[in-house]
Amino acid sequence: MNTAALLGPYHADRVLAWEKGHAITYGHFLSDVGVLADLLPERPTVINLADDRYRFLVGFAAALIRSQTTLLPPSRAPGALAHIAREYDTSYCLVEGTEQVEPLPSLQIPKRTGSPAGVVKVPRIPVDHPAVVAFTSGSTGIPHPHSKTWGSLVAVARSTGTRLGFKTSDQLTVVATVPHQHMYGLEAAMMLPIQHGMAFHAGRPLFPDDVRLALEEVPSPRMLVTTPLHIRACVAARLRLPQVACVLSATAPLPGTLAKQAETLFHTRVYEVYGFTEAGSVATRHTVTENAWHVLDGIALHQESNGCSLQAPYLRGPIPFPDLVSMQGSDRFLLHGRGTDVVNIGGHRGSLSDLNQKLNEIEGVQDGVFFLPDETGGSVTRLIAFVVAPGKADKHILSALRTVIDPIFLPRPLHLVSSLPRNETGKLTREALLGLLQKLRNGERHGT
Amino acid sequence: MSDVSPLEAEVAELIVRTLTLKVEPAQIQPEEPLFGDGLGLDSIDALELSLAISQFYGHQIRSDDPDTIATFASLRSLCQSIEKHRTK
Repeated sequence: MNTAALLGPYHADRVLAWEKGHAITYGHFLSDVGVLADLLPERPTVINLADDRYRFLVGFAAALIRSQTTLLPPSRAPGALAHIAREYDTSYCLVEGTEQVEPLPSLQIPKRTGSPAGVVKVPRIPVDHPAVVAFTSGSTGIPHPHSKTWGSLVAVARSTGTRLGFKTSDQLTVVATVPHQHMYGLEAAMMLPIQHGMAFHAGRPLFPDDVRLALEEVPSPRMLVTTPLHIRACVAARLRLPQVACVLSATAPLPGTLAKQAETLFHTRVYEVYGFTEAGSVATRHTVTENAWHVLDGIALHQESNGCSLQAPYLRGPIPFPDLVSMQGSDRFLLHGRGTDVVNIGGHRGSLSDLNQKLNEIEGVQDGVFFLPDETGGSVTRLIAFVVAPGKADKHILSALRTVIDPIFLPRPLHLVSSLPRNETGKLTREALLGLLQKLRNGERHGT
Repeated sequence: MSDVSPLEAEVAELIVRTLTLKVEPAQIQPEEPLFGDGLGLDSIDALELSLAISQFYGHQIRSDDPDTIATFASLRSLCQSIEKHRTK
């Protein structure tokens, strides 16, 4: 059986995680994983809800050893969790506290169990084992599962490390602002460190000052895994950050000027990663010097009549890009924008037709549509919704929406209108919706 | 509203303007939760708002746990935090 090790270079005394200033070694980690693996119930799939990165990783690794698959819910919205609990009804949850996803049983990830037991053998996992299932919102209105093999996670981690020039002697420590239940967070904040003998900070800093404190809590050399939004916030706050060897950004394009500012202010190099759930991380660029994206080793690009697709030894068949791209030679591409049905809000890709369907299924909604205004660099542009729902309050529709869509897609704002500007064929053009928006904004300005 | 302090009124206006909310600043109840079922804000809003607050009041917001976001529990708790730490 073809297998790949759970960890890259293994030294029992090397630090894996920093939890509130306390170092946890790789040896401790394997001991914690062994203890938990024996406690796991005999179930095929697990929802790991741990916020603490170390405890998440212990749960993830224990599940791998027991040949179980970790499900990555697209959001913590009760509706999304309930859907996955229904679809995977033989699952259980791994939690830090007392969280529950009815009707699934929950198991608490134990606190650290003590000293590592002697010489430990690093477990090996079959490369074709489905390690995680990530979800995208499809046009059908149902989260679409994407299974990721252990081999694909390892391959992406290794090729990303090679691209960024990591050496096992570097011993970088990763501080990440992104959730590890999201593919980018799992790849860059969990898989990347464990496959390169690196360490990570167990917390998830949000505000600029949190980022500064987290970086100060770990030794140099440091790496920051983050998003354009956080970079913008840190630049605007003109933080004095400790020395950061490199910054990795993903979830949305990083404006070149912002990358330049960050490099100057923080004396670092800023790289971007491009990826999507179906394929994982696909390409990188050094934003200040490169416009084109350089695909990771092992990925081949194909230009087809209706767009670009990519292939890799660890992926099943060619996968089309969700965004508009054009090839630049065999291993580089330019990104031109999103596909027409795709929206990306703060790193969450969604399908407009899916969102529209969910909106129109709400009781009392006669007609409704989501709309993404033109985006401006650096900040997150939110969706707007126009809804025809006589006799209903916007609060009623919003709370109904909240139970069925990721809160990040909630319209900001939701406009109640008497009708939508559909043309003779019933279509809603972008121009017509922009016109409606303009009219509503003018009305507000004049106080009508 | 009489039980709203001048700072609370000012910050309510900042929240509505920064996050392009469709409510009047005066409609934000000082004790109402800003996140989840209250105003329905999320962590991206928290970050946007923290930026505006650092620019207006020179207060760097910090959270030990981003999911509880204690400072942002309500308009009132947010203003108490600003009052305590503001440099502008």
